[in-house]
Amino acid sequence: MPPAIEINQLDFTYASQPTLRQIDLTVERGTTLGLVGPNGGGKTTLIRLLLGLLRPGAGSIRIGGLPPPEAVRRGNIIGYLPQNPPAPGLFPLSVREVVRLGLAGKTGMFRAHAREDLAFAESLLERVGMVELADTPVASLSGGQLQRAYIARALVARPMLLLLDEPTTGIDRAGQRQFIDFLQKLKEELRLTVVFVSHDLRAVSAISDRIACLNLTLHYHDVPDHLPADLVFRMFACDLEAMGIRDGHVCTHEGGGGPDAGTPRRGDARTRSEPAILAAKGTPE
Amino acid sequence: MNAIMTALALAIACAVLSVFVVSRRWAFIGEGISHSGFGGAGTVWAIASVWPPADRAAWAPYLGVVLFSLATACAIAYFTRTGKINSDAVIGIFLAAALAWGILAQQIYWRQLHRNPVGWDVFLFGHMAEMSGSFAAAAAALCAGVIAAVALLGKEILAYCFDPMVAEASGVRVGFVHYVLLMMIALTIVIGVRVAGSVLVPAMLVLPGATALLVAKHVRAVVIGSIAVALLATMTGIATSHYWSFVPTGPVIVLTMFFQFIIAYAWGKLSSAIQ
Repeated sequence: MPPAIEINQLDFTYASQPTLRQIDLTVERGTTLGLVGPNGGGKTTLIRLLLGLLRPGAGSIRIGGLPPPEAVRRGNIIGYLPQNPPAPGLFPLSVREVVRLGLAGKTGMFRAHAREDLAFAESLLERVGMVELADTPVASLSGGQLQRAYIARALVARPMLLLLDEPTTGIDRAGQRQFIDFLQKLKEELRLTVVFVSHDLRAVSAISDRIACLNLTLHYHDVPDHLPADLVFRMFACDLEAMGIRDGHVCTHEGGGGPDAGTPRRGDARTRSEPAILAAKGTPE
Repeated sequence: MNAIMTALALAIACAVLSVFVVSRRWAFIGEGISHSGFGGAGTVWAIASVWPPADRAAWAPYLGVVLFSLATACAIAYFTRTGKINSDAVIGIFLAAALAWGILAQQIYWRQLHRNPVGWDVFLFGHMAEMSGSFAAAAAALCAGVIAAVALLGKEILAYCFDPMVAEASGVRVGFVHYVLLMMIALTIVIGVRVAGSVLVPAMLVLPGATALLVAKHVRAVVIGSIAVALLATMTGIATSHYWSFVPTGPVIVLTMFFQFIIAYAWGKLSSAIQ
């Protein structure tokens, strides 16, 4: 079975400015990749390339062995939660109807949704804790409830890959912990591959099996605990404690520090003993 | 009878589309397409000022309106889809250029033939009395086409209007939906120009949906409410100009819609104050 994501020698240039250069990255199925980097480092561009919304200048991308436009057209391979979804305003849809919108691509034009897909939508509403609010107009939801509805919409077509673009932005620390626990549970129940994009290293490292640092090129791709503090400092130019770095290493749980202090996660034993699948090509760290 | 049938069919088509026009914040697109029709009529007047046979064909200016409106809709659809130019700027550019050309062509016509083109004011303000049976049938076919398209592509249109980027990422053919919606809007405007004129027809594509969205919370209720608003306003307009022949139908339709919007807004404010 092909990997969830396979990127080879990817280049992308926007308005004559190189945005991504010589990216090689493989994400195995069932794992979580945390994609971090400074603002303008190319994270959202990479997500848009994975979604087929942009075309690579050079190199190739495969999602489950398919080119991104083909993977997107099937409607049940990629689920996506955007960074800033438009506010629902007065849009006259209930939570249930918004969740079902995620089935439109999978079902196809001029067809009604399959009965099992509708049943899965109901089970998702329950999983994300929105079953009580299923008939509530989406315009009257709080920010957190809206995010849960949007995650259910991203998952309703039972995708293999879930792309989350800055999902914890604007959420306080306690809310982030709840979100990460919720996401971890969903990931295990639905056997998802997750790409979690954020500039918040602490949030990313708490859930990811591997971290990729992106700033024009891929600077690092390995387990979170090995992420060098000097790289974090150079990329983010900020207080390392604030980024969740102690003793020169990423702290993967509250109050801990050092390379072995993180909360054990699925895949840790394997990923720690293995070298990174692919190292950085541009400026190796 | 033809006029009543045309107006009612137009009201229903406008009402259904207005829900999506308001949701996608496309009110200004309606203005751009409807005013570009004036440029189309102007092109025919300019030709007629140097080639008199074009002046004798009463349908020729309307053909210009249809062609210009559809071409402008295609251009706006292309530029708003590719995002190469800001959509407001695209609409503003086409609207201003078409109006300028229409006014210039009318002046050329006046200079050559020493009179205004026949029916030039109809394109600005509409004229209900001169509807033929075939025009009424075209309006009915448009109405049926809009209802059928929305029924067949409902889930794609809703996904696209709610969040175009997520819809595209989830496999919806948003390019197709985008062009279908804009072509339906353009065709509705082409029919509406004869009823309410290019100045007022964009209001018929905004007010019913905006009013219904204030009071109803679910899609079906909003669409039904929007149709009710449009039909009530249209029947008021027809009845008013029937009893007082000096009163034009289009402005009465739009003003009735406006008052319904104000009442719905006040009702919403009052309801939330009571709760």
